Amino acid sequence: MAGAARGTLTMRRRREILLGAAILVFLALLPLGVGNVYLRGLIVLTLLYAGLAQAWNILGGYCGQISLGHALYFGIGAYTSTLLLTRLGVSPLFGMFAGGVLSGGAAFLVGLPCFRLSGHYYVIATLVIGMMVALLAANWDFINAAQGITIPFHQESWTDLAFRTAILPFHYVMLAYAALIWLIAWLIEGSRWGFFWRAVKDDVAAARSLGISIYPSKLAAAAISGAATGIGGVLYAHYIGFIDPDSTLDLSLSVLIALPAVVGGIGTLWGPLLGAAVLIPVQQLSVAWLGSAAGGIDLMVYGALIMALALARPEGLVSFFQGRAREEAADHG
Amino acid sequence: MTGVTRRDLLAGTAALGLAAGVAPSARAAQEITIGAVFPLSGNAAAIGQDAKHALETMADIINGDHAIPMLLGKGGGLSGLGGAKVKLLFADSQNNPQIARSAAERFITEDHVVAVIGSYTSATAVTISQICNRYQVPYISADNSSPSLNKQGLDWFFRPSPTDVDFTKAMFDCFAAFGEKTGEKVKTVAIIHENSVFGSDSAKLQVSMADAAGIKVLANLSYQANIPSLAVEAERLRAADADVLMPSSYTSDAILLVRAMHDSGYTPRAIMAQDAGFIDPAFITAVGPLAEGVMSRSAFAIDAVKQRPAIPAVNALFKASGANKDLNDLTARELTALQVLADALNRAKSTNNMALREALRATDIPGDQTIMPWAGVKFDATGQNIKSNPVILQQQKGEWRAVFPFEIASAPPIWHIAR
Repeated sequence: MAGAARGTLTMRRRREILLGAAILVFLALLPLGVGNVYLRGLIVLTLLYAGLAQAWNILGGYCGQISLGHALYFGIGAYTSTLLLTRLGVSPLFGMFAGGVLSGGAAFLVGLPCFRLSGHYYVIATLVIGMMVALLAANWDFINAAQGITIPFHQESWTDLAFRTAILPFHYVMLAYAALIWLIAWLIEGSRWGFFWRAVKDDVAAARSLGISIYPSKLAAAAISGAATGIGGVLYAHYIGFIDPDSTLDLSLSVLIALPAVVGGIGTLWGPLLGAAVLIPVQQLSVAWLGSAAGGIDLMVYGALIMALALARPEGLVSFFQGRAREEAADHG
Repeated sequence: MTGVTRRDLLAGTAALGLAAGVAPSARAAQEITIGAVFPLSGNAAAIGQDAKHALETMADIINGDHAIPMLLGKGGGLSGLGGAKVKLLFADSQNNPQIARSAAERFITEDHVVAVIGSYTSATAVTISQICNRYQVPYISADNSSPSLNKQGLDWFFRPSPTDVDFTKAMFDCFAAFGEKTGEKVKTVAIIHENSVFGSDSAKLQVSMADAAGIKVLANLSYQANIPSLAVEAERLRAADADVLMPSSYTSDAILLVRAMHDSGYTPRAIMAQDAGFIDPAFITAVGPLAEGVMSRSAFAIDAVKQRPAIPAVNALFKASGANKDLNDLTARELTALQVLADALNRAKSTNNMALREALRATDIPGDQTIMPWAGVKFDATGQNIKSNPVILQQQKGEWRAVFPFEIASAPPIWHIAR
């Protein structure tokens, strides 16, 4: 029995990595079929959010610690790399590591007091800390306060992640980012830590009785999730070329980071990607198509979609596929 | 007539298809497409919708048949481009730098706009102007006043309207001129501002310009926006009793401040406001006679009709465009930005980006050819208009009257600051 169970698990994991590789190849070739600059930019943004949502999913999904303050880690990453480049001329390729380490460290520090809280109190703590930092950043002159920082364009350069109008380089940068975070999530799913975290998520008392140390588990999940989010912030900053507290530290960004994972399927490998693939294009295209017509219609369309999805698939979009897989399994049985 | 004949001759679906294919391109040659990016939804939606009406009004003036005494006021399209009509496309930025950027990129790559106009907030102006620079398409900053924007080192940035530095400088120029004229010189000021970017930056500029002018700052108070009471601040201002009070506040705080000062029995000898709440009609309605004598800086003076005869006709068109209100500081700037761009297109006689940039750089419009109280429109190397002097307005008997500079003034100032 146990052997058979392990067999199906190994098979499932092998199937997932193969599917992941196939999707990676598809996404790598996708720009060849999309000549439109706007749509290419849309795909870049979708890939970024797929990575960010997956990063959030590591803590919120696998470990069950819902955070509404992930913009904090995003912002720390974005500001670290931007300041390193604009003040000291340090390449974002290094800034990425610095941003990742600092934001991972910040997530660890936030976790130190906050993981002593349980349930909703942790959510509220992350929300409040995120808002506090946004307010401080908006008044901190060293980082240009609310004015924000522009990354000036000088010349095309891979080391500076600077490209005049080409979007293709960023397509591959974001794809690599989304793939990396997906791979980390895949590795976690099969690792000892992954089982610990899911046990913590399901029942803290039961997990503790099995000898799992709860507190370090949560801290580790937070640090990995924070670092992964920070790297996303670094990439965003260099893609857009401008950051300010409103666009990198705001509460609405925390929600945007969590939303694809929630809508796609919380605590699943494919949920964040699916959620991002649906939500980001709908959000951006509804602004582009309906935004000029009358104020707010685009936001209503976006909101209605999220409500419809939440009502139709409370377990997330990923359940569309899981349902079919289960039926298939039943057929074979 | 030939068109009709040809249409009669061409029958059948194939011919219809051909005609459909030909018609848009024939029309496109006579339409110049311009992209406008503004916050049409979200917390600044009202300003974006007003901007839309303002730009549509100017497009109507350019395209239609009018007799307005200003540049391009006769209508009939752009004569330099064979009577081509201006066509506006609008995009919502939601006040988000990323969405603003992709909207501008979509305009440039898909709609092939000749220029982009925007964008109210400076964060969105940064990303739009940067992307326009990369694609070598002019960005006309209609209503962004952050002084840093034209210092980004961009070659495709043009701003006809004044910056925040110009606005604050106008206040101190006004003090000096009034002092000269009446003998009542400003020796001390008190500053009160909300602790936002707008408020803090405004106060910083005021302090440095006061220092430069040898004026003493007796108080510099900051408060949290939308605070429930300003009674303590009012007391401190009363104690300071400076020659001029300089507030930077939005509507609700402006109302609160004026009422709190009244309650504490303090009437400032002069108030010089940094626009915002003090210029809001809701403020005047709320405080009634307490607003008498309040001064504010502005880029626009609606009562300067003697010097700018186009104002009544343009204002009437704007009102009828669906805006249902008079032109104000922002809408007048937006409208004028399109006029400046259209003038450059007209002189460039081409939609080529290089020709258009050369024409923009050569812009030299006398002030009386616009509705603005400025000396004119002429850009420096950074794309900033060097002739866009702001005006100082004063609330007199319930009306905003231009009181400075004197050549644009429609009324003498109420100025009694001597003890």
